[in-house]
Amino acid sequence: MDKALRNALRELTSSDAESKRRAMEPFVRSTFGIFIRHLHRYLGNEVECEDVLEDVYADIWENPDHLRAIDSEGQLLRTVYLYYMRKRLREVYRRMNRSSYLSSNDMQNLIAPELGLCDLISQTELKQVLHRLLGKLKARERKAMELWMAGMSNRAIANQLETTVGAVKMLEFRTVLKLRRMLKEYCEED
Amino acid sequence: MPNTQREIQELLADYAGALRDGCLPTFLKSLTREEAKRISESPDFWEATEVVRLMNSAGFGDNVVTPDVGLFISRVDAAIASRTKKAKASTREHSRSQVNLHP
Repeated sequence: MDKALRNALRELTSSDAESKRRAMEPFVRSTFGIFIRHLHRYLGNEVECEDVLEDVYADIWENPDHLRAIDSEGQLLRTVYLYYMRKRLREVYRRMNRSSYLSSNDMQNLIAPELGLCDLISQTELKQVLHRLLGKLKARERKAMELWMAGMSNRAIANQLETTVGAVKMLEFRTVLKLRRMLKEYCEED
Repeated sequence: MPNTQREIQELLADYAGALRDGCLPTFLKSLTREEAKRISESPDFWEATEVVRLMNSAGFGDNVVTPDVGLFISRVDAAIASRTKKAKASTREHSRSQVNLHP
């Protein structure tokens, strides 16, 4: 954890209101990238991510007690997710409960799930791991995943692979499950 | 009548697409009762969503990081100022009601 973040955390958890206020700017500067990328995993929408994050920072400012004795970025992300982000994520689509057939429990598992596989590894490590695992897939599976990650629609992927949209969806589903098994092995080894 | 309900692999593909395109509400609204039940009962779907989230993050997560955090910091400042104001107002309100209780 870098020095600026360590200092900001120390001041943020102090009892002096003025120190807390002063510490917010360096704290936001040091953590914005980490937190917004993490939120993006669940929402996928920049505007919603920023709205949630704004509330998360204000919640942290109001009650920073959970951030005492944090000594690594991983621990910080885990604590912030469990104590501040999850609560806010649950509220994002709460109003939709009435119009969706998903149970509130399933809605919560979809939008604000428990921390899962490799959820706390850094963005750089995640990219490296996925790149390595994609390399272990069969050519057709790898191509489908790479095209999906390049932003192509399933119809465009089907055209590239000269197959049907239904077959692409099935291929993606199987490949994602295969990747999960590989990721699980990686996380257990780690 | 043909079965128009989406299979679990189609539901996952649609969830992944909605997450990637930032329109999850559209996916949530599109679910029928039968599809919601199918999702609820499929461990494969839930396992697959973990990977989809990671892939979404690795592929598109960097796009949400704005180069200038200054504007966002002023939003956070405003949110904090608004909460401080509310807290002060509620304290004043509370002390007034205390006064009324004991005239």
